Amino acid sequence: MSDVSADSLAEIYRTTYRALVRFLYRKVWDAERAEDLAQEAFARAVVHKPENARGWLFIVAANMARDEARRAARERRHLTLLTAESQDGTPTSDDVFQEEQERVQVRTALEQLTPRDREVLLLWDSGLSYSEIAAHTGLAPGAVGTTLARARRRLVEAHEAGEKGEHAARG
Amino acid sequence: MNMPHVDDGTLHAYLDGELSPPEAQAVEAHVAQCPACRTRLDEERALIARAEELLAQAAPPDRELPPFRPPDVKPPARLWWQVRTPLAWAATIALALGIGTYVGERERGGPQLAPTGRERPTIMADQLARPAPAPGPATASAPDSAFAEQRQRLAERRLRVSKQAASPAVVGAMEEKSAADSIARGEATPVTADGYLAAKAPAPSPAHRELMQLSTYGGAVKGPPIGVDSARLLLGSDPLAVPDLPVRGIYRARMIGYTGMVIVEQALDSSTVIEVINGRRSPLALDAVVVTGAAAALPDSQSPGARALLNTRAADSLAAAPRPAPTPPADQDKAKRAASGLFVDVLGPLPPDSLAALKRLLRPLPP
Repeated sequence: MSDVSADSLAEIYRTTYRALVRFLYRKVWDAERAEDLAQEAFARAVVHKPENARGWLFIVAANMARDEARRAARERRHLTLLTAESQDGTPTSDDVFQEEQERVQVRTALEQLTPRDREVLLLWDSGLSYSEIAAHTGLAPGAVGTTLARARRRLVEAHEAGEKGEHAARG
Repeated sequence: MNMPHVDDGTLHAYLDGELSPPEAQAVEAHVAQCPACRTRLDEERALIARAEELLAQAAPPDRELPPFRPPDVKPPARLWWQVRTPLAWAATIALALGIGTYVGERERGGPQLAPTGRERPTIMADQLARPAPAPGPATASAPDSAFAEQRQRLAERRLRVSKQAASPAVVGAMEEKSAADSIARGEATPVTADGYLAAKAPAPSPAHRELMQLSTYGGAVKGPPIGVDSARLLLGSDPLAVPDLPVRGIYRARMIGYTGMVIVEQALDSSTVIEVINGRRSPLALDAVVVTGAAAALPDSQSPGARALLNTRAADSLAAAPRPAPTPPADQDKAKRAASGLFVDVLGPLPPDSLAALKRLLRPLPP
């Protein structure tokens, strides 16, 4: 029996790992860290053998990312590391710089959403269905569409406002 | 219109394909006769596309899917030909380390002449092997930086060593190691001079092995922090730690020859941190395979000349190997654990006897 569950978990890994990394990346903003956390989540799934492994993985990942954010806030080390990385880690071609700028703008816009709106948006973007999102967040299934509509609108608006602000600042 | 306008949430659910067929049909029916909602539908579609586009800009780099590595509790039933290549690499590197240590000592004319701890490749080995505390750089007040420095040195050392040990030398090293191991285990081997060597120098062999082991795990790469659950999975058993000491963190570590390695960081007091190394040896660990496999293969595959060379090398290695005569009492303990597959040690800026005392206290970490 344990072989069966290991097989199905391997299948879930194949189909969900990238989505989980994507989800985590938008929370920790560090690709390697996101991958480590995703691995960690799967390692825990192997132990706990949850029934709905996919939903379970995202809940565990969300919790880990939250703990991570708390610790980072406590230690005030995370941002320093990120900055150091983005300054000397990558080749400073214009394209890379441009991509980095875009990423920062989207990140800033995302951070202006309410936690619930953001969570729903990120879960949808990671491939979860409305019913999975409802189970994850405790929303009524009928409320997911409304939340998602609001989240998308706010993201786009906040991003536009940020771009305008950027242009104004550049003057 | 006998139907109220479609709200935003329903439009999004419709566009996301999340409505049931009857619900979707109702939306379509309404939109077909309501220009306002048709316009809104297009707007929302554009909004969804734009949001997706933005999120795609904030996506992690697309990397290859790493292999699923569920921490297996039972040893994997791998076939020997799948294992051979990685194993050969593991053996090469570990043995290059060992022989490098030995070559290095010879270069400097023996361990006693080394003026400071600076150039020593295996400070941790020395600390543990010597009964008296040897105050060196490693006992500085900042334990983290001291260890980082040690690791750095070991890493540099390893680099240098692997350069020295070009391929023929590595092959020699492998043979030598197998011979030395056989001697250490008191096994009957086809090598003729073994009885003589074993009788003449019974003590140094374990010490030699010890040295290699320590220098090897001194080069362990400390990874990200992990939870107890994952640590347990990696090791296949509870990680050991000193009871009643606050755990500062548990880290995954990687090292060749170990399927799982976990470092438990504990605070002894406000300024002293110790690291408890928990390593699960690969089921196909070096000793197991090199000794049984290679030694058995020797009579068939080795010419008499090569065997003679092997003997000389083995003799050299035993003669020249540094031999810290008094072995710490914890060694038998360690040997036992190593035999059971789990390798444990305590590192920290403390005298060896204190570390040994701490090691005797180790207990499984409660969940």
